[in-house]
Amino acid sequence: MDNKYDIAIIGTGPAGLSAAINSKIRNKSIILFGIRDLSNKLVKAPKINNYLGFYDFTGQQLKDQFQKHIDYMNIDIVTEKINAVYAMGSYFTLMVNEKMYEAKSVIIATGMEHTKSLKGEEEFLGRGVGYCATCDAPLYRGKTVTIIGYNKEAEEEANYVAELTNKLYYVPMYEGNYSIKENIEIVKDKPVEIRGEDRVKDIVMKNKDIATDGVFILKDSVAPNQLVPGIEMQNGHIKVDIDMKTNIQGCFAAGDCVGKPYQYIKAAGQGQIAALNAVAYLDSLK
Amino acid sequence: MVQEIKDVDFTKTLEEASTPIVVDFWASWCGPCKMLAPVIDEISEELDDKVKFLKLNVDENPVTSTQYRVASIPTVMVFKGGKVVDTLVGFRPKEAIKGVIEKHI
Repeated sequence: MDNKYDIAIIGTGPAGLSAAINSKIRNKSIILFGIRDLSNKLVKAPKINNYLGFYDFTGQQLKDQFQKHIDYMNIDIVTEKINAVYAMGSYFTLMVNEKMYEAKSVIIATGMEHTKSLKGEEEFLGRGVGYCATCDAPLYRGKTVTIIGYNKEAEEEANYVAELTNKLYYVPMYEGNYSIKENIEIVKDKPVEIRGEDRVKDIVMKNKDIATDGVFILKDSVAPNQLVPGIEMQNGHIKVDIDMKTNIQGCFAAGDCVGKPYQYIKAAGQGQIAALNAVAYLDSLK
Repeated sequence: MVQEIKDVDFTKTLEEASTPIVVDFWASWCGPCKMLAPVIDEISEELDDKVKFLKLNVDENPVTSTQYRVASIPTVMVFKGGKVVDTLVGFRPKEAIKGVIEKHI
């Protein structure tokens, strides 16, 4: 017995939770990564009538039912954000900044990010554009960096990066009070395009341009092919077969991240398929 | 086996090679590089004799990394006849990297 989890599940929406309960029923050691609210999309839903067995429910009520279910099964949520999942061959390494976890199989249930990528974002990825400021900050020692933050957590990363860089711009994509250090310049403007030649040179905003060496875009979740390097995509979704297998052995995916329709019970069903096939995969390793 | 290479020996090693050369550009502070190292080690064992495997620390060897315009690490480059024939930027699963290298054997 080693210290690797049997199954690591990333995401606490219906797909991830259904994968978690089914893995637990099959007596596998699991680790579940997500948020305390389970799913931001779920708690925002005003009325749900298409989840079999639960009708006339608000999203919040359905969330409470899901929470009771996982509590009953003694399933805990680890509220850490996974930056990357590396397929090492016979196992997976999951990175949370400097910390890491190991699992024999992985189920990706991260949902869909609805915000579109910026013009130039994909073109300059790895050439000035990044999604994990704390990971790549040492590359920008003494340089100018811009962080485009979509949530409060981005502020913490900005405060850390500001210790290394010469100049840091923070572009908040949300309203609120920003608890960031004094030497960080807040830019309340809308980013339009990232430009450069070899590497990033500047960001075009609605009202002005900012010269910058690096741009970090910090959202709730990164695109699956950033999260799992080497995973095969199809039309913006993770490519899976009918068993919810991806192109990487031992890596499964379920829910919105594998394609439409974006519905709760479809996600839960796929989470179950993914879990059962992950169990079959684990058994085949013995 | 993966050998450490430095700026001073790089050109000479490329010129003298009779097999394809795989170079892993890395740095000690780069998380994905640490993940990639054991993967490259495994591939080097499996393709022993057919391919020469090298690793180059970009912090200590700026000449080579600038010459080959390494802007993000890890970067894995495959050289054949002294020229770059394939470049992989970022971590990739073992089978994906091995597949790319095997194309050039």
